[in-house]
Amino acid sequence: MALAKSVYNLLFRRTSTFAITIMVGAVFFERIFDQGGDAIFEQMNHGKLWKHIKHNYENKDEE
Amino acid sequence: MIRNFTCDVITHSLRHAFECPVCSTQGRCSKPQLAAKMMSLAARSGAFSPYMQATAFTVAGPLKALVPGVVVKTEKILLNPKKQFLCRESLNGQSPKTGPSVTVSINGCAGVRFAHTDVRIPDFSDYRRPEVLDPKKSSQDSSESRRTFSYLVTGATTMVGVYAAKTVVTQFVSSMSASADVLALSKIEVKLSDIPEGKNMTFKWRGKPLFVRHRTEKEIATEAAVNIAELRDPEHDKDRVINPSWVIVLGVCTHLGCVPIANAGDFGGYYCPCHGSHYDASGRIRKGPAPLNLEVPYYEFPDEDTVVVG
Repeated sequence: MALAKSVYNLLFRRTSTFAITIMVGAVFFERIFDQGGDAIFEQMNHGKLWKHIKHNYENKDEE
Repeated sequence: MIRNFTCDVITHSLRHAFECPVCSTQGRCSKPQLAAKMMSLAARSGAFSPYMQATAFTVAGPLKALVPGVVVKTEKILLNPKKQFLCRESLNGQSPKTGPSVTVSINGCAGVRFAHTDVRIPDFSDYRRPEVLDPKKSSQDSSESRRTFSYLVTGATTMVGVYAAKTVVTQFVSSMSASADVLALSKIEVKLSDIPEGKNMTFKWRGKPLFVRHRTEKEIATEAAVNIAELRDPEHDKDRVINPSWVIVLGVCTHLGCVPIANAGDFGGYYCPCHGSHYDASGRIRKGPAPLNLEVPYYEFPDEDTVVVG
């Protein structure tokens, strides 16, 4: 409850801080959402993507 | 002056000084249906009593006395069922117009008291949060958490909305500016030294044939000397070329879109075999059904030896 009260007083009480909270939150939400979506995609397609099978086709002599 | 002794709906709890001639009781009156006036006030006012009385007519009301009198004669309410009941028309002549009366408009008297005891208050408890279900509890105790929750939900929704709007706008804007590989496909670079003088070469550019023609000095002089007035689509030769040695036109006949044949036709330029349109060495229509000159695309010479079309 103390946390909720401080969050309210600090972030939500004024419209200016509320808007800033939304903007900053959107940036973090975008990172989490996009990277989470990519991670789920790669997990579902594990072993099918190029980066998973790339080592099979790389020439050893180049290294 | 019987009416001086009748009791009022509002003041029926007053004790009568005399026996009420209507309900025949001493003390509390049990006939609230008969509304008359403030008894004592009217009784004392003497000559002014007609102007001081609040209500001079009987108004039938649904109220019943909380405490019934000693003698209860009948519960029956004498009502005329055909008479309109408690509407503005029916009460128009019954509310006071003189004396201490309040009006809301020119003929709208406000002295009628509507006693709506049968109105039900809807139950909104399905829509209330559990903290405020109990009407006896102070809502201020839970206002902090309710308020924070409301703002949190609003903020989270707006945040997702901002993200969605940003994604949509980004997609549209990025589709408007084509990427470098797409732009590179739309251009063609031609090495001019491969084309000998008097020859025409055809390239594929944006899915269409592109004619690059290296003109001889004689052709340049001939096209520059053409009288514009006798052309179907008047255009001077120097408006169609950057370097007079090189004519670069789209190889699409302006009639129906066939590909003309180079170095053919009556005028030594292009000849469309489909319907017989003759173009000269500048790509201008001279004879046949085509209405317009061959189209000149945008091109530039980065150096002496190359031309970039597109």
